[in-house]
Amino acid sequence: MAKNTLVSPEQKATQEESGPLAVGVSQTAEQNTPRNIGLIIAYEYKKRLSQRSFKISTAIILILILLGSFVPTIVAYVSSQMNTQTKVVVVNTAGPIAGMNNGALFTYIDRTLNGTTQGQSTSGKPAFSIAMGAADASGSVQKQVKDGTVSIMLVLERAPNQDVQFTYYTTANPMSDSTISKVQGVAGQLSLLDRASRLGLTTDQTSHMFAQPQFSVVNLGVQNDRSTSDIVAGYVIAYVGIMLIFMSIYLYGYGVAMGVAEEKGSRIMEILVNAATPFQLMAGKILGIGAAGLTQMTAFVVVGIGALLLQTPIKDALLGNNTGGLNLNITSSSITLLLLLLVYFILGFLLYASLFAATGALVKRQEEVQNAVQIPMWLFLIGYLASIFGMSNPDAMWVTVMSFIPFWTPTTMLMRVAMGSVTWWGVALSIVLMIVAIVICTVTAARIYRYGVLMYGQKPGMRQLMKLARTK
Amino acid sequence: MGMLVEHINKSFDQLQVITDLSMEVKEGSIFGFLGPNGAGKTTTMRMILDIIRPDSGSITWNGKKIRDIPRHHFGYLPEERGLYPKVEVQEQLVFLARLNGLSKAAALAHLDEWLERFEIPQYRTMKVEELSKGNQQKIQFLATILHDPLILIMDEPFSGLDPVNANLLKDAFLEMHRRGKTMIFSTHQLEQVEELCEDVVIIDQGQTIIQGSVREVKRQHGRNVARLKLDNDPQALWLDDLEGVQVTKRRQDYIEMQIQSHMSPNLVVEEALRHGAIISRFELTEPSLTDIFIEHVGKTTFQDTTSPALATLAGGTR
Repeated sequence: MAKNTLVSPEQKATQEESGPLAVGVSQTAEQNTPRNIGLIIAYEYKKRLSQRSFKISTAIILILILLGSFVPTIVAYVSSQMNTQTKVVVVNTAGPIAGMNNGALFTYIDRTLNGTTQGQSTSGKPAFSIAMGAADASGSVQKQVKDGTVSIMLVLERAPNQDVQFTYYTTANPMSDSTISKVQGVAGQLSLLDRASRLGLTTDQTSHMFAQPQFSVVNLGVQNDRSTSDIVAGYVIAYVGIMLIFMSIYLYGYGVAMGVAEEKGSRIMEILVNAATPFQLMAGKILGIGAAGLTQMTAFVVVGIGALLLQTPIKDALLGNNTGGLNLNITSSSITLLLLLLVYFILGFLLYASLFAATGALVKRQEEVQNAVQIPMWLFLIGYLASIFGMSNPDAMWVTVMSFIPFWTPTTMLMRVAMGSVTWWGVALSIVLMIVAIVICTVTAARIYRYGVLMYGQKPGMRQLMKLARTK
Repeated sequence: MGMLVEHINKSFDQLQVITDLSMEVKEGSIFGFLGPNGAGKTTTMRMILDIIRPDSGSITWNGKKIRDIPRHHFGYLPEERGLYPKVEVQEQLVFLARLNGLSKAAALAHLDEWLERFEIPQYRTMKVEELSKGNQQKIQFLATILHDPLILIMDEPFSGLDPVNANLLKDAFLEMHRRGKTMIFSTHQLEQVEELCEDVVIIDQGQTIIQGSVREVKRQHGRNVARLKLDNDPQALWLDDLEGVQVTKRRQDYIEMQIQSHMSPNLVVEEALRHGAIISRFELTEPSLTDIFIEHVGKTTFQDTTSPALATLAGGTR
């Protein structure tokens, strides 16, 4: 392999020196670059969207997204329907406790167990139904516990001048019975109140003693103006966004490599290079597949957000408004993050797609694409893993450095922004660096592509690749 | 003037694929490009198309360097068929034609015309992979000509076609000829060359062996073939002693012989009459191109000389 000169218009005079792999670049085609790229984009876009596999995978993923967003609501609804009340019978043989007679005691236990202390009435049934048993009913209620008509019997006893003793009767396996701890909590509070009153404290004094301390949090970090819900939303968007970027770059980058290998393998490339320049072919393919990918992603994101937003009214209607769960507030800062997600997705795709295109141009057959794309994929995987592991420590030096390396920016920088540890100029710088990298990679890839697409049968060595990348 | 290929050389690695090859294709002619497998036909075609460039020598079209000719003036039919298997016929043909500079309306109009001519309008919305090999070939031909190129370069356009489809394609060739297109095609079916081509070149191992108009080639390189039948002397053994005549076949119905080109065939008749023979048949036939081809490159025809390096770099040059 003596010379590898690619003949460019300036080199017309030195035609005799052009090497064996010299690929002619049609000047007439070059003059029509925007038209040709536009045609190729439209063709690739339409081709992809009309593919059966594309339609099916889009439909399946959309269904999964819908199911996924409805599952928590459905689970909550079903469990609320199946939820039976835990029937508790309290048998008090200890007389007044902390100055409360049986009626007051009933109100206290009911409120504490069912959480209605704030005076809210819920539309659902309370978890516990409380009944006071007669002081001598212990034996008969024990039978009811045994036959299952009563879930729990709580017996309160007191030896003279001693603390109240609580006995908990149940048929449930104590290992899996989660109500024990709740009842135990009530018992503990009652016991404290009782001891305090026996020491002679008034009710006011007692409640003062157990009042919550004033405790406020002041965060002096960068993100001190972000609300908690903002931080949660940021975390969720970053996590989902990084997944989306990872998946889509793999899917569509793979699509680019496959498309190039298909054109090379089916030899249609020989017709295409006559009509358009290799650069136009590569750029058109990348942008066309990218546009199809963006369409698909937009559908996923719109349906996903729509379905999530639907959950709140549906839950309200089914379960009443007392349900907790994920409350994603779309605030201005999470909108910024969503926009940034879009920017990094597009830039990341353009950067990696050029690598995938060059990879596709170098393989011999379409079946080899799967192995060949491992190389760009591993490069990308490093950034993906770094962003996942870096979440716990987004300000670490190695995370910061990685977030400015264009190949890893889309995932790592997105994570850092979501964690709130980046200034605006950091984001701007990373975008500029990515654009520079995209230009360099595209130009290099286009050169490799030019040779690769018409080179059949042999694998170029590393040294030859470097040579191709440098030749103009 | 047409196309002038002058003294081109091309080597891949150490292997010389084309050596000092020259040929001339007149504008508007149908040109047959012949040679055994591995002779360098595909490589030469790719050099004409400026997909690869010769190490030395020049290729010009009407005096202009081939690479300065707008690409859409060329139509290429690669030997290994190149179409998108999973895309509908109309969609990819219109895409290719538009990429070659045609407007969408013009591309569709040309497509209508040619689908009609090939009697395959029903394939318009079918995917290429769903078509038979012969029909795929017709679509491939449409991809070559739809953008109305001046120069058609076709690598074995007839391979794999049944006689009916081959005739359709021949008619299309003649139609393109009427429209003044210049056509260069390679083939192994030499009858087609005799039928279609005015000029022909035979190359072997990257070098020109024979070149010229078909008639001239036959006259220069062939021998006259005569068939003789004598009613009273079916064996005509005296023919064996005749100088300049070589009997090639003795069949029941006739004797076939080759007469050297400098000799007059009349001599055979005179000699027969001298032997008192009753001639019931005497005819002169021109040698076929096949005969000439086999005579000149026969020694290499039956060994596949495609070397690995050649196959890999040139993409399976035949």
